[in-house]
Amino acid sequence: MGSEMEPLFLAWSYFRRRKFQLCADLCTQMLEKSPYDQGPDPELPVSQAVWILKARALTEMVYVDEIDVDLEGIAEMILDENAIAQVPRPGTSLKLPGSNQTGGPSQAVRPVTQAGRPITGFLRPSTQSGRPGTMEQAIRTPRTAYTARPITSSSGRFVRLGTASMLTSPDGPFINLSRLNLTKYSQKPKLAKALFEYIFHHENDVKTALDLAALSTEHSQYKDWWWKVQIGKCYHRLGMYREAEKQFKSALKQQEMVDTFLYLAKVYISLDQPVSALNLFKQGLDKFPGEVTLLCGIARIHEEMNNSSSAAEYYKEVLKQDSTHVEAIACIGSNHFYSDQPEIALRFYRRLLQMGVYNCQLFNNLGLCCFYAQQYDMTLTSFERALSLAVNEEEAADVWYNLGHVAVGIGDTNLAHQCFRLALVNNNNHTEAYNNLAVLEMRKGHIEQARALLQTASSLAPHMYEPHFNFATVSDKIGDLQRSYEAAQKSEAAFPDHVDTQHLIKQLRQHFAML
Amino acid sequence: MAEVKSMFREVLPKQGQLSVEDVTTMVLCKPKLLPLKSLTLEKLEKMHEAAQDTIHQQEVAEKERHITH
Repeated sequence: MGSEMEPLFLAWSYFRRRKFQLCADLCTQMLEKSPYDQGPDPELPVSQAVWILKARALTEMVYVDEIDVDLEGIAEMILDENAIAQVPRPGTSLKLPGSNQTGGPSQAVRPVTQAGRPITGFLRPSTQSGRPGTMEQAIRTPRTAYTARPITSSSGRFVRLGTASMLTSPDGPFINLSRLNLTKYSQKPKLAKALFEYIFHHENDVKTALDLAALSTEHSQYKDWWWKVQIGKCYHRLGMYREAEKQFKSALKQQEMVDTFLYLAKVYISLDQPVSALNLFKQGLDKFPGEVTLLCGIARIHEEMNNSSSAAEYYKEVLKQDSTHVEAIACIGSNHFYSDQPEIALRFYRRLLQMGVYNCQLFNNLGLCCFYAQQYDMTLTSFERALSLAVNEEEAADVWYNLGHVAVGIGDTNLAHQCFRLALVNNNNHTEAYNNLAVLEMRKGHIEQARALLQTASSLAPHMYEPHFNFATVSDKIGDLQRSYEAAQKSEAAFPDHVDTQHLIKQLRQHFAML
Repeated sequence: MAEVKSMFREVLPKQGQLSVEDVTTMVLCKPKLLPLKSLTLEKLEKMHEAAQDTIHQQEVAEKERHITH
């Protein structure tokens, strides 16, 4: 049956069913049959259709929503000169999230990332970053995400994806960009749009894409908002934020689209102007009341500004519009968990389970919520499920770490010891496990081992206060006051409001004054 | 109830000092909820892995070719 089908129709059907590889292969065969020279033959509309279809299939294979993509590499972040104020006022920058103004859970309850933000309930490409202050921080992997960021965006994952796709096609790339006559294509708007997306997403050749977009927008006499948005996207990738802003604004004047609002907000976030981004989102909401992506954008900014209570408000708004929004549910859930309401968090995570989310992270969270909500029957089975679903060792390490907490909670120190050890076996850089293991060793009276573990922990994650504070306590106990004082000061830098640290420092100062 | 009360009388010291020693205890790191991954991130990671696989396979094939020649 299949062989008798009209091949172009079959290819279309593959495309619609998202079988892009099959679609592209079929298109290649068809294009081989009807000889073509680089571009499609203008006399043969069928081959033209096949050509577009193949370009679209190849694009769809590697398509990632540009709004979600975070391309900031280490170099971009450290050498960032786009921010207007180097020392911004509190509450106007994403770099200085500011201390907790809104009375959300403190650092003693909710873990923070190395940028000093509470860990979030949802991981997007751009949440991995945080904005590190120093080079040293930038190179280290943050606490919640394990993919280190690329050195620069041009050496980033996109280039690597490109090389891989080149290796797989033995006859060279589908379209040879350097031989392309862009002016010719820009005359044919329909062809040009598919070609642009192919160049932008598949080849990642932003410069050529920009050339094509510029020619096309000229051809359309600057009347097509779509091309303006595309030019803006190119500028944004090239790091020319102000130019991108102009294009997006001009596109918005012609045609108001949710996407354009989101892109423009992304530009403002890159420029470190969260307040402008918030205003823009609100403008967008006036035009598109109740638009989920805009609401969600506001919530994300509030969350990044360390304002978790208003973030939660907006996430709730999101859920009113779209009750299956995974990000909103996960963020509200984690908020409840860390504000001492595990029962409510459990309901949110159960909702996610009902919706069909089925992975290691979710079961781990369910297990934790069950344990702290005193539903002990479900706890261990959830963790077992989480372990069986873990796809890499880092995930397994986190699950073992949390199981260790359960063991501490029921007072089984031997089990806890084993769990934390297993966490370390799976991920040798698991700072929290080092710290907790040290506490357990200390209870057994093994001071030297505890000190060694704490030293490892504090060198792995200088942004956490726990290892520093514990090291200070241990050193204080064995009379090594100088080291204790140094560690206590580091702990204070990481968590200024920690009462025990302040107490310890005061005590030590008194000691030194007496000498 | 009244009988029980008469059996165990509460003791409230009226004299002397009550002292509580504040011992600093070590702190455990807190349990960590794992963040869920967005679809985009999952897709990126999947694509990344696939890309690395193809590169790896290519390299292995290249090596084998060198050995046979």
